[in-house]
Amino acid sequence: MAAYLGRLLHSSGNLLRNGAHLHTAARALCSNASGGLTTIRPKDEVMKNQLTVFGEYVAECLPKYVQTVQVTSQNELEVLISPEGVIPVLSFLKDHHNAQFKSLADIACVDKPTKPYRFELVYVLMSLTYNSRIRVHTYTDEITPIESCYSVFKAADWYEREAWDMYGVYFSNHPDLRRILTDYGFEGHPFRKDFPLSGYVEIRYDNELKRIVQEPVELAQEFRKFDLSSTWETFPAHRQGSKPLMDTQGKGHEAPPEEQPAEEKK
Amino acid sequence: MAGLVRTVGRRFFSAKATTGLTGMGVAKDPHLALRVLYTKTLAALEKLPKDAAYRRHTEGIINDRFELVKTVPDVTELEKKINCGQIEQVIIQAEGELSLARKMADWKAWEPLVSEPPEGQWKWP
Repeated sequence: MAAYLGRLLHSSGNLLRNGAHLHTAARALCSNASGGLTTIRPKDEVMKNQLTVFGEYVAECLPKYVQTVQVTSQNELEVLISPEGVIPVLSFLKDHHNAQFKSLADIACVDKPTKPYRFELVYVLMSLTYNSRIRVHTYTDEITPIESCYSVFKAADWYEREAWDMYGVYFSNHPDLRRILTDYGFEGHPFRKDFPLSGYVEIRYDNELKRIVQEPVELAQEFRKFDLSSTWETFPAHRQGSKPLMDTQGKGHEAPPEEQPAEEKK
Repeated sequence: MAGLVRTVGRRFFSAKATTGLTGMGVAKDPHLALRVLYTKTLAALEKLPKDAAYRRHTEGIINDRFELVKTVPDVTELEKKINCGQIEQVIIQAEGELSLARKMADWKAWEPLVSEPPEGQWKWP
């Protein structure tokens, strides 16, 4: 036992001494012939250029609806459109010779309560002929209906039902807009940011009534709210507004210019 | 009667028995189908304004393909020259473009932006 502990201490001592060398050892293990780290995704400038060119092409063909086109750092093309243009843009991307995005992979919804239009709808399209993906973003709020793209993509049927059920985004001209994931008598839209994690009701089987009953939720422990923001600035590159900085000499200077992700403004 | 065979002119039929894709039958006369579709599409594109980018680009694509359809009689060689999969897929693409060109005239997508986003809508984070 003692010998084992002794060996353990000895080896951990070794570890501490070699701690400084671990980083270089890791570099030696996962670097390629030219010395670059293989654990870091290499930048694909060709792909980025292709996507940028295609994004500009879409914006040129549909200037009435396309507000912005972006390419993210992970080489994902995003087309931001106004809500009136859902059907035209999706039809263009599906039918045009240079686009051929025949597959609707997903319709996602993002709840951003601070924005003027709270819900951001994301249509994820995939082209099998050109092996490419594209995302189309629009916006809406709780009361503004958005045109259903069921006439363009049949797959939109259940995706839009899910957006309705979880967020409350209403789709006009949808063939059958009803709940799909929540329970039959469920009230509320669970994925909204103001809907609590535990919900409002809980169910139990009542022996006298011989059925499931819904009652307001009772938590055994009070909800614990953690202050998740740290006292230190986390993203100095994304500083908003002009906050004066003090450098080591005690002189104040202006904040660095706001950096935006690689963007193609219309 | 011993088979009365009509001459079919200089059109060559596709030698393949199947496309290999489920639900997609071999086209009986792809040249005719493509000729009809491209003519109709060009007529639909005439209704759009001449300087519309969609019209310019689409007319370019369709004219290129139309030239190939007119000059290359053999189906396999045509598929290779167009270089976009099988001829049946090219026909489907042409059908899509035709319906799109017709709808574009209704939407008038060449006009300038119809509605700007509200302040801060697209800012992230």
